[in-house]
Amino acid sequence: MNAESVETLRHKIRSIDSVPSMPVIIRPLLEMLQRPLEKLNVADVVNLISCDKSLAVQCVRMANSPLFPRLNEVENVRSAVVALGLQRVQSIVLGCSLNQIVPADKWVLEMSIFWRHSLGCALVSRKIATLIGYADPEKAYLAGLIHDVGILVNSMVCHEKFRRCLQLASSEKITLVEAEEKCLGFSHVLTGKILAEQWNLPQNLSRVIEYHHAVSDTETEALVCLVRLSDLICRVRDLGYGYYENIAVDLVNEPAWTALEAAYSGLKDMDGARLLLDVEASMDAIIKAVDDVFVTKN
Amino acid sequence: MPVSAASPAPAEEAHDLKDPAYLKIRDLIYHISGIYQPDEKLYLLASRCAQRMNTVHAKTPSEYLDHLTVRGNRDAELRMLLNEITIGETYMFRSVPQLDALRSVILPQIMQAKASMGFKRLRFWSAGCSTGEEPYTLAMFLLENQQLLNGWTFDILATDLNDRSLEAAKAGIYGEYALRNTTDALRKKYFTTHDAKRLQASDTLKSLVHFDRVNLSDDSKMTFLKGMDVIFCCNVLIYFDLNSKRKVVQHFHANLLPSGYLFLGHAESLFQVTDIFHLVHFPGTSAYWKPPIGYKGGSKP
Repeated sequence: MNAESVETLRHKIRSIDSVPSMPVIIRPLLEMLQRPLEKLNVADVVNLISCDKSLAVQCVRMANSPLFPRLNEVENVRSAVVALGLQRVQSIVLGCSLNQIVPADKWVLEMSIFWRHSLGCALVSRKIATLIGYADPEKAYLAGLIHDVGILVNSMVCHEKFRRCLQLASSEKITLVEAEEKCLGFSHVLTGKILAEQWNLPQNLSRVIEYHHAVSDTETEALVCLVRLSDLICRVRDLGYGYYENIAVDLVNEPAWTALEAAYSGLKDMDGARLLLDVEASMDAIIKAVDDVFVTKN
Repeated sequence: MPVSAASPAPAEEAHDLKDPAYLKIRDLIYHISGIYQPDEKLYLLASRCAQRMNTVHAKTPSEYLDHLTVRGNRDAELRMLLNEITIGETYMFRSVPQLDALRSVILPQIMQAKASMGFKRLRFWSAGCSTGEEPYTLAMFLLENQQLLNGWTFDILATDLNDRSLEAAKAGIYGEYALRNTTDALRKKYFTTHDAKRLQASDTLKSLVHFDRVNLSDDSKMTFLKGMDVIFCCNVLIYFDLNSKRKVVQHFHANLLPSGYLFLGHAESLFQVTDIFHLVHFPGTSAYWKPPIGYKGGSKP
């Protein structure tokens, strides 16, 4: 893609910020994501979420999902923040806000399929992160949740053409990125990166969005590798893009695995077969959480 | 999503899944047999344990754990429990994701590699075929995918240790349970009516499967079975202890041609048994791949 067409694309993506469905809290929320955790306080976050009633409801529902084990039922935003911690709540709120941005008639990939994949990646990233001793599993969760934000961008800014990408991908059983490159000349990786820049998302998240399909060398940072692996795992366990992909995934021989292995010796002992069965078994909980939280029933 | 092995437990609430004994039993089974029950499926394990607990008069899961670990007949009891866990595992088209993987990736890959050497024949082995559902499914699948085979021929070897199972397999008479996942079109095409409730595999279908009695621990026989492209060995290795399992898997490795695949049962794993195979994941299923000599790694499609 030449610089000019990237500029045109950038211009189109800028218009996303003014869509009527944009939740009011998204700007302050994005700003909050920049701040280190110790500079956040519970009251600020609770106040922010409470500005948007439907968001607050979604947040409480998500907090009550079995995907977030905790002791007691969460009844309001404050207890959700206390029970789950600021970082988890930020992830949940960001997910719910992103969901609101796309108007109902603009979804190309079905809303529930998109969120099953995103939530699946979030959970698997966090799980692998925990297993190998990665310092910030919640960061891995957030990265997994938003890695495909470019799909939302594509749905909005090149709606019809993106629909054709998905049709091509499912009829040829190829990856979505391949189909996008063929029909659009670029993929959700680029549009996601442009949105990440526009929103000043933290650099490491932006890199996850940009490189999760392009881990080729062993120098790649752990967060990108975690999301790359969980993306692959989800796509072979019915948490992909809703169509059959002709893929064979040999995790141990993925560059992302090799890169992670250099930094985390725990990876060597990870039981791949067992991990995949766990992912498969959490399917029902993921579907339920997505139906409860993201799929709007109106 | 693969079809769940059995319907959910009738009285899910009846078992206290928080009892740590269930987790211990789960880990014991995984360690011994390679069958893994994720947390979300513990209720299934609990209901299978409940059947056995009834029989052996164990009142609590932890008492039953004793039966599996310290009592004199622990090996026999473990076997009985494994029988309960894998019950209902065989019917035609039990694992559609395996067939999808064969069609989309595995067979094209194997055929490409073999064609370059001038081969035009594929060899499949159903090791532990029980009453024949697996090899007949494979035969139907291959017949239905002629365009994929494109003139290639194939043979299917189906072996079991149990003579009675083999007799039943050769007779090829199946009831509704075995055929629950078989479409009407396939029933019409590959079966004839046996009696009011059962169908019989057609002669065409039977002629494609060669049945034989093989003990997987019989080294002399195992060494003889060469040149396989794909081996299916579902829920068989679970009954072997670690050493025998290692030996069988080593044999499978030798029996397979380079780039061949080994399929195990859905919840089975070779973790800590061997690393001579590569675990490869396909949509909805996983398989063990024998890398060709000189394979340096690197990602595949």
